[in-house]
Amino acid sequence: MEVTLTERENATIVTITGSVDSLNAEQLSATFAPPIAEGRVRLVADFSSVNYTSSAGLRSLLAAVKDSRRGGGDLRIAGLQPQVERVLAIAGFTSIIRVFPDVDAAVASYRA
Amino acid sequence: MAATLPAFPPVGAESPKVTLVIGSGSVKCAAALGVYKALTDAGIGVERVVGCSAGAVFAALIAFGHTMDDARSKTVQLWTRELTGQRNTIGVLRALAPRLFGFKAAEFSLRDDRLLLQRLRAGFGDRRIEDAGMPLHLTATDFATGELVELASGSLVEGIRASLALPLAFAPQRVGERLLVDGYLSDPLPVSVAMKHGARVIVAVGFENPYQERVDSAGRFAFQLSAILANNLLRAKLAFHSAAHHSEMIIILPEFRQRVRLFDTSKLAYIIEEGEQAALQQLPYLHRLLAEGRQYAAA
Repeated sequence: MEVTLTERENATIVTITGSVDSLNAEQLSATFAPPIAEGRVRLVADFSSVNYTSSAGLRSLLAAVKDSRRGGGDLRIAGLQPQVERVLAIAGFTSIIRVFPDVDAAVASYRA
Repeated sequence: MAATLPAFPPVGAESPKVTLVIGSGSVKCAAALGVYKALTDAGIGVERVVGCSAGAVFAALIAFGHTMDDARSKTVQLWTRELTGQRNTIGVLRALAPRLFGFKAAEFSLRDDRLLLQRLRAGFGDRRIEDAGMPLHLTATDFATGELVELASGSLVEGIRASLALPLAFAPQRVGERLLVDGYLSDPLPVSVAMKHGARVIVAVGFENPYQERVDSAGRFAFQLSAILANNLLRAKLAFHSAAHHSEMIIILPEFRQRVRLFDTSKLAYIIEEGEQAALQQLPYLHRLLAEGRQYAAA
């Protein structure tokens, strides 16, 4: 898994490439932690290059959602691939996390 | 009863192992045979198997080491439309006029289950759950309390019959002191059973209930309501277990581009193939995960 952080408008974009699973869940949590600690809590996770997620990946994501919301922000997901969206949906995550077709739409949602 | 043979390519004692959980899903549960084949072909063993509703049938076939050919043949013999074809006339009368005919929850059903029992006995004989080649757990639901009930010992036929006690269609099954109904009513994909037994890596094969294309009868109306409830329960339970437990859960959701109806055993080869393909997609991660040998604490 590769992760990069960029800023756009008032949001922090976390672009993830590869698989989100138990082998890298800690890395993902560690990536989300600094911006949240610094108060940059309007997060967008760009999932357009994520091809797989497991329960450990979901837990890591959920922790980031909770931490960002606790700080007054949110973690919104953009560009889910169908197979990943299916796993998120069947595990109930899409009912509590806002999902957008792409990063532009997710960033724009923070303007509203 | 056919001889019990190593079901698929033998997996060594030192092979990495997973717990296989097969959810409810009628004949689609046969996809678990394809998942099992993909795992064993890849040298990944199964150390425990959990089955719910129709998934209980395939969990039993795997745990008792049936060959793929034998498992297919047993499925075709067991799973035909005739299973639910025979009306339970007294059950219907009891539903329509309970004061006149008397209503007994323990016996109430709209369908006669004698053919189902006859076929289960022909397929599994008098085997006991605890005699399986690996720990086998069948799940049902306590009719009195709604609790998930895990059957890890006792009559295999009785256990499968309880797990398959489709509400309204088949009467509840008495096991010991308890009256049991279909396992899907408490959890359509009971990964909790695997977690409770300390599973480190769980491969969970789940199925969402299809919604009716048209609702033009009371039966279809009931199926639609049942599908809505079961799908929401599946998601709610999986959400909780994904978030709350440290086991790694690989969720396999075979995609059926062809519509598979309740008794479509003519599509068995296709169903198994879809299961195998869905599992093959998970193998690269499973291999990395098992190689890593990480320790997951049981809750």
